[in-house]
Amino acid sequence: MIDLQGYGPRLIEGAGVTIQLAVLSLILAIILGLLTATAKMSRNWFLRRTATVYTTLIRGVPDLVLMMLLFFGGQIGVNAISDMLYYNYDIDIYINFNAFAAGVLTIGFIFGAYMGETFRGAFMAVDNGQIEAGKAYGMSSSLVFRRIRFPQMMRHALPGLSNNWMVLLKTTALVSVIGLTDMVRVAAEASRATHEPFTFLLPVAVVYLLIASVSEWIFARLQKRYDIGFGGQ
Amino acid sequence: MAATPTPLEVRNIKKRFGDTEVLKGLSLQAQKGDVITMIGASGSGKSTFLRCMNLLEQPDDGDLIVHGEPVRFKTTKHGREPEDWKQVVQMRAKLSMVFQSFNLWAHMTLLENIIEAPIHVLKKPKKEALEHAHALLDRVGLSARANAYPAQMSGGQQQRGAIARALAMDPEVMLFDEPTSALDPELVGDVLKVMHGLAEEGRTMVVVTHEMSFARDVSSQVIYLHQGLVEEAGPPDQVLGNPQSPRLQQFLAPKY
Repeated sequence: MIDLQGYGPRLIEGAGVTIQLAVLSLILAIILGLLTATAKMSRNWFLRRTATVYTTLIRGVPDLVLMMLLFFGGQIGVNAISDMLYYNYDIDIYINFNAFAAGVLTIGFIFGAYMGETFRGAFMAVDNGQIEAGKAYGMSSSLVFRRIRFPQMMRHALPGLSNNWMVLLKTTALVSVIGLTDMVRVAAEASRATHEPFTFLLPVAVVYLLIASVSEWIFARLQKRYDIGFGGQ
Repeated sequence: MAATPTPLEVRNIKKRFGDTEVLKGLSLQAQKGDVITMIGASGSGKSTFLRCMNLLEQPDDGDLIVHGEPVRFKTTKHGREPEDWKQVVQMRAKLSMVFQSFNLWAHMTLLENIIEAPIHVLKKPKKEALEHAHALLDRVGLSARANAYPAQMSGGQQQRGAIARALAMDPEVMLFDEPTSALDPELVGDVLKVMHGLAEEGRTMVVVTHEMSFARDVSSQVIYLHQGLVEEAGPPDQVLGNPQSPRLQQFLAPKY
């Protein structure tokens, strides 16, 4: 058995941070992705433009740079607001821009752009006749979305979605630069202190692999669920 | 008279795609129990005309009156649009469409397809919707396929299922867009038989078709369209039995 030299509990805590961060970021990214895809397919010029600027900007700038920009920039913004409140209204509050929230926001924001493209392609793959049938039977657009477009789009979106999720999971390792103690940071600290990098980095790699395997299993089940009716199963 | 409003009336419908004017002012009035068939060469505008009746296409001009209620339009920078989409949604629920390519929802079983709109659009209780669905499946001869997915059914079965889905809405008018054109010849008969039955029980139907025998046997009125205009219209024995225009004569002539 590997001797974790007392770092075990902190590593487990770090793994918890990693998982929470990844899952919350995924949820945010899916919501942003659906909105972006909808905006890109909208006939409103402004919405289309905004969504294009968003995806171009995000996909063209390194994740690490964006993360630092959002975290430090976010703190400056929050400080400016609290200063303004203090000087103008005599309200004295200090808000610490939470590193965890910043991490979720940044990663969700980055992957929302990738999800947007995944969802857009998936929506376009749905046969228009299916949607027309919904409209022809008196369904409102929201009902058509819920009952027809979304369930039929998902089978096309899932492969890309699962790919994005795997990349997202590993991107969470970047949050140590903004001071979040995820499991990579704990392992790095422990390696430096003990000069035994493998003792700490190997278990970390195994945990990532484990999360990845569980997710693959979940995605395979989802794929089966959304492939129903489309033959080939 | 005039106790019940006319189920469907369209007046002077015009539609252009880009530079091509596909409908040049078409009108139609379907009284209760009417079976109106529209025939014409491809490109004559018959399918587009049908799709304008439930606003799957937006007509550039003209009136649409469903069960006595005119649909209100407004003009936007995207062209002419319905003023109130809620009104359109309610209007569409009164007109069931049967499509050329069936368009049964692929991710639902046949039974789920049939109860979908009655439950979610008409807000029928599930039990009632299911009872009605089973009766309709029995009627189109598909009771055994209730739990099959569309991909597991033949084209003819899918189209009969689609007709059951349309009937489940208790529609004021049924719109058929070339319902047998995508079917293998040996499967056409079953679908036509179901449609014959509907005509006999007094369903109001507007049918775009290439099946001349169907048009001859069941229509109350036949409309021959040519390049977005009505070339000839009237009872079937007149239009099909004694065509006046050379174009219709040629259209009806046997082709070998």
